[in-house]
Amino acid sequence: MLASQIERRAVRVPEQARARRSPSWRHFWGVTAVEQIAKLVAVLTLAVAVLYVVGFTLWTTWISFTDSTLLPDYTLVGIKHYTRLLQTRIWQVAYVNLLIYGIGFMVFASAIGLLLAILIDQKVRAENLLRTIYLYPMALSFVVTGTVWGWLLNPGIGIQGFVRGLGWTAFRFDWLVDRDMAIYTVVIAAAWQATGFAMALFLAGLRSLDADLYKAAQIDGASPLRMYLRIMVPAMWPITIAVLVILLQFAIKTYELVRALTAGGPGIATTLPTTVVYDYMFQRGLMGAGSAAAVMLLLSLLVIVVPYAFYQRLSARRLTRHG
Amino acid sequence: MLNKSLLVIGVACAIGGTSAYVEAEPRISVISQWSAGAEGDAMNAFGDLVTKAGAKWEHNPVSGFTTDMMNKLRADIIAGKPPAASQLKGPEIQAWSQIAPTVNLDALVAAAGYEKVISPELARLHKVQGHWVALPLQVHRINTLYASKKAMDKIGATTLPKTWDEFNAMAKKMAAAGITPVAHGGIAWADTMYFDLSLIGVSPDAYRRAIMNLDDKALRGPEVLAAFKQLRQMTGWMSPANAGQHWSVFLPALMKGEYGFLMMGGWASGVLKKGKFEEGKDYLCGATPSNVAKPVFDLNADGLIFWETKNPDLQAGQKITAQVAMGKEFNRVFTQINGSIPVRTDVELTDPAYQDCQRDAAANLAGAVAANQVVLSLAHNMAQNNAITAALRDVLTEYVHNNSISPEEGQKRLADAAAAAR
Amino acid sequence: MAEAAALSRASRYGFVYPVLIGFAVFFLVPMVVVVLNSLRSFEEITQSSVLGLPRSFQWRNWTEAWSGYCMAGSCTGIRPYMWNSLVIAIPATIVSTLIGAINGYVLSLWRFRGAATLFAIITFGVFLPAQMKLVPWAITLRNLDLSNTVGALVLIHIVGGISFTTLFCRNFYVNVPLDLIRAARVDGADFFQIFRRIILPLSPPILIVTVIWQFTNIWNEFLFGITFSEGANRPVTAALMALNANVAQAREYGIESAAVLIAAIPTLLVYIFGGKYFLRGLAAGAVK
Repeated sequence: MLASQIERRAVRVPEQARARRSPSWRHFWGVTAVEQIAKLVAVLTLAVAVLYVVGFTLWTTWISFTDSTLLPDYTLVGIKHYTRLLQTRIWQVAYVNLLIYGIGFMVFASAIGLLLAILIDQKVRAENLLRTIYLYPMALSFVVTGTVWGWLLNPGIGIQGFVRGLGWTAFRFDWLVDRDMAIYTVVIAAAWQATGFAMALFLAGLRSLDADLYKAAQIDGASPLRMYLRIMVPAMWPITIAVLVILLQFAIKTYELVRALTAGGPGIATTLPTTVVYDYMFQRGLMGAGSAAAVMLLLSLLVIVVPYAFYQRLSARRLTRHG
Repeated sequence: MLNKSLLVIGVACAIGGTSAYVEAEPRISVISQWSAGAEGDAMNAFGDLVTKAGAKWEHNPVSGFTTDMMNKLRADIIAGKPPAASQLKGPEIQAWSQIAPTVNLDALVAAAGYEKVISPELARLHKVQGHWVALPLQVHRINTLYASKKAMDKIGATTLPKTWDEFNAMAKKMAAAGITPVAHGGIAWADTMYFDLSLIGVSPDAYRRAIMNLDDKALRGPEVLAAFKQLRQMTGWMSPANAGQHWSVFLPALMKGEYGFLMMGGWASGVLKKGKFEEGKDYLCGATPSNVAKPVFDLNADGLIFWETKNPDLQAGQKITAQVAMGKEFNRVFTQINGSIPVRTDVELTDPAYQDCQRDAAANLAGAVAANQVVLSLAHNMAQNNAITAALRDVLTEYVHNNSISPEEGQKRLADAAAAAR
Repeated sequence: MAEAAALSRASRYGFVYPVLIGFAVFFLVPMVVVVLNSLRSFEEITQSSVLGLPRSFQWRNWTEAWSGYCMAGSCTGIRPYMWNSLVIAIPATIVSTLIGAINGYVLSLWRFRGAATLFAIITFGVFLPAQMKLVPWAITLRNLDLSNTVGALVLIHIVGGISFTTLFCRNFYVNVPLDLIRAARVDGADFFQIFRRIILPLSPPILIVTVIWQFTNIWNEFLFGITFSEGANRPVTAALMALNANVAQAREYGIESAAVLIAAIPTLLVYIFGGKYFLRGLAAGAVK
């Protein structure tokens, strides 16, 4: 679809460009002035984007080396917040939680998303309806998701209570109040919200795959399952990266969902680095320590983001070589 | 065209000229976290009183919890435009007054003879370096015990337990009768509150030394250990299915007799009133168990701090608002709506709009002041600043939700956390 | 395309449909719970439990939530706040999308040293948690003299959204064949003309994706919404939180559920009606 669109428009442009190039004062002032302004705007928008990210990150890093409490204080005092935080129980718990939750959520959401995409791609009836049902949770705010799942997963009044009320009195589903299992309830609620988006990306990817791939596989007599596993899934690697990036930033930034679902509990069993940042920065009035927590969170991110950036660079280079 | 503009300029000058001789129009900008429900209504009533006294009332509540309100305050202070007054309480009044200039209310307080009718503990909290910068709005008793009448009937008890031993005995009977003795939602501050109440019941003096003064010897002493042991007993009587739940969720079940006791601040009686439950018929209300004979009062007080402003309208508004807040009428109206007790010791609670529970709390406060047993609540950010409170809260909330932590271990962790945070 | 991979009839009904329907139930149940609660009375919910069928239909919850509920002295429900959210979300979405398109265009089709690095930096911005941006924004707003204005939130959401929009648009534009651009350059088209005549006409698929994503995120954003707005200017998320955050009293679950549903209508509509275009946009842009 894209290719034909591009061809059609490519034919049109040179003609229009030629027609426009009649010399006139308007051409001299109008077009070139617009051109200058356009370039200026482009430089500005890029600058704003970069300055925002760099500026805010550097500011936070600076503050993490200071003794800021209620308000920022710019005198440097060293790395004491970092060493202290690493020894604090709540940070250790929060970090481990992030690993468990992050990996669990990303694997779960992408696996289910892929599965649903493959199944929907089977020319099922009511595809539009099903797709809408899977996608709509993304439209809701995290607070709503957390609150409602907090009701559903509550052992007394939620699913456990409901099933027991039906007669199966030995049924247990009290993860929400179990110190060891509570983090998995966050996985469930988050996956509920984001799986539809992963499915949409995968479905889009499936639909854009080259038809020749299929024909070749059919000629070879491959079974549908083998076709999926051997051909389509590997061909969707780039889409998978996109899905993982979206899910990863979702996981890193999760805050309101946990706040509404478990309030960090039971005890401190579902704290995440973002809740620690908020807690230290704003609730405890320890801005220096909170900034240190934020910086440590971002540092651990670089481990993943930097390879992705390299991948992007490689793929862009590959394109220019083939394009 | 020119004539018209001249006319406009002329009129503008006339108006501008005359307004130079008009007095400042008093108004007050206030931020708080009380946007809805009874608390919102109480602020509206406060606003009506201020308006009647002649100042324009601008209340901008911040939706969310106290931290969100403090974030807004922080953002406003950074912007250089703090509100004329804001909600703030306890040690945070001291901390925040360091980062932005406040108004000295000494003259207004002296003129109203206010300090005579306020308990000294309360006065101390609202003064910075001896000067009044904030005014208390209401007092809540934290150490309130609510008992389900139905549950009490089932075990044949007619009055509330006075000591921890009596409480434990009744709780055991309730557990045997199939009632969950302690209703508890499982949120971190409520976990902390149960510890506070355990320790206060054992020895208010030890509480003062350990929690309010963070004395290391007291923290590692026998009273604190006894409090941890009592708390461990109580966690055994809480339903394990409750974690992260708002305490009010269990009120209907408490009234029905499925739960036995609830320990909560005095506001709960207001909630019960709204839910159409009746004192004496559906529930009993009194002080939490205490091993000490003389009355103890665990205090939580909300305050209004006044931020310095150069705007004469706001300055006039601040004066009027302060005078209203120190008056008896405000004390009556605000506390009736909120279910709290007045800060002034000379306000009679004979008005039928008050509940017996509130009268009981007020009497409790008077007795505790006389016996010098008024303590400040840790769980409600009155005893320590937020950073220390949060460090202790982490330990206590873990202790409540993890039965494998022994009382000795819990005490050690608490003392270590206090030492690290100090 | 999919015919080649279609499964047999038996496995469709034995496996495909049950799984799809099973997940549909999983995704629908929470919404059903909220809808049911919006029709139940306060007494009913607090007397029984949060999950259950309505005993009587309380449409009152809906009218209360829309125009009756009292917050901060005014009993207007959430209607005015919905309007505020629109005033913030629509301009912010449009401007941040446009900026993303410009950035994406420059970073993908104009080769200059450091383009990849700049793109990496901008992408990193996608991961910044909101908590660490709160105080820097307070300082920035003070320096720009925008504190406590409606423009404050619009600015915050425009700038905050640039990382995402740039990411989406740039990954889309890298698929535009460079030959096309080269041909246009040969014919004399310049920076702006290429953007206007080639890039923009090709963009609707990714612009729709970006608009849907941005609108939803801005509409549902909470932290900046309550900190940088005041009184009558507050977005709808602040109003919802007023219903949610009560220490000293029971929550009005019925009105809260109705309010939540009303507040979710714009984003739900966007996803329901935009869903098809959303998918097309992802298909066109997300490959490679």
